[in-house]
Amino acid sequence: MTEFLETSVDKFIFRVATDRFYNSEGVWAKEEDGLVRIGLSDFVQQRSGDVAFAEIKPVGASLVFGDEIAVIETIKVNIAFTSPATGKIVEVNPAMVEAPEAINQDPFGEGWLAVIEPADWAADRVHLQDPQAYFTRMKTEADEEAKKL
Amino acid sequence: MSENNQKVVIVPCSGIGKTYGTVSREAAYELIEELRPETAQLVPLSLLVLGDAAARQAVANSPTITIDGCKLACATKMVQESGGKVAQDFAVLDVYRRYRQFKPQGIAELNEGGEQLARALAEEAAQVVDKLTAEGEQNG
Repeated sequence: MTEFLETSVDKFIFRVATDRFYNSEGVWAKEEDGLVRIGLSDFVQQRSGDVAFAEIKPVGASLVFGDEIAVIETIKVNIAFTSPATGKIVEVNPAMVEAPEAINQDPFGEGWLAVIEPADWAADRVHLQDPQAYFTRMKTEADEEAKKL
Repeated sequence: MSENNQKVVIVPCSGIGKTYGTVSREAAYELIEELRPETAQLVPLSLLVLGDAAARQAVANSPTITIDGCKLACATKMVQESGGKVAQDFAVLDVYRRYRQFKPQGIAELNEGGEQLARALAEEAAQVVDKLTAEGEQNG
């Protein structure tokens, strides 16, 4: 069962799942039997707003760490996210076509974006943040956002 | 359905400062002022929140369409809590997914995309108003 780090900023509560790694944009990456499932953090989905559309690179696409892998469109913004792993996309969440709001409803679970077959996950992982480091970064960003309110 | 209290009730989102909330209200105004003034009436969500007797009676006695600006679905929930039955609920986000070419922006004043989205939403709701009106007439 996934455990979370949690913090409150203003009226918002943000959670960070502790069983995965994160890139600087808030894309999480979780190793599962040699594959890497990816998605967006709770902070990213709350800050971005309700997702209207999510476009993910298709199954079979080859990516290098840092390549664009997904674009989401919300009422507020269009944001491109980069891949936290080098490899090939082997699965895309079908919910992203009909019900991309899954990103908002369950960012660490049903709202996952894609599964990547990594070329060298061990090498990629050292460039990602562990949950505590991302939590600290996220909290700093959230505090800065709150000051703008 | 020509009596005022028998008109289909439209309850839009009351969210201020959000684009989707503005789209919901603009769609409601378009519907009751331009498209179906004879068969649709607006009940402000704020009156339901305040427990206004006339507003509660309207949603309790007439078929009601809600237009929610976000997933909180305040309009739908408040109609239900006021004793009304929601005949059809629209969510602006879902409507936008059907009309991606109309990207809404702006808050106090919508951009052209927002106005077009509100119009498209109003037209969809007008079809529901017609259906509910016809059903009301059939049921006497």
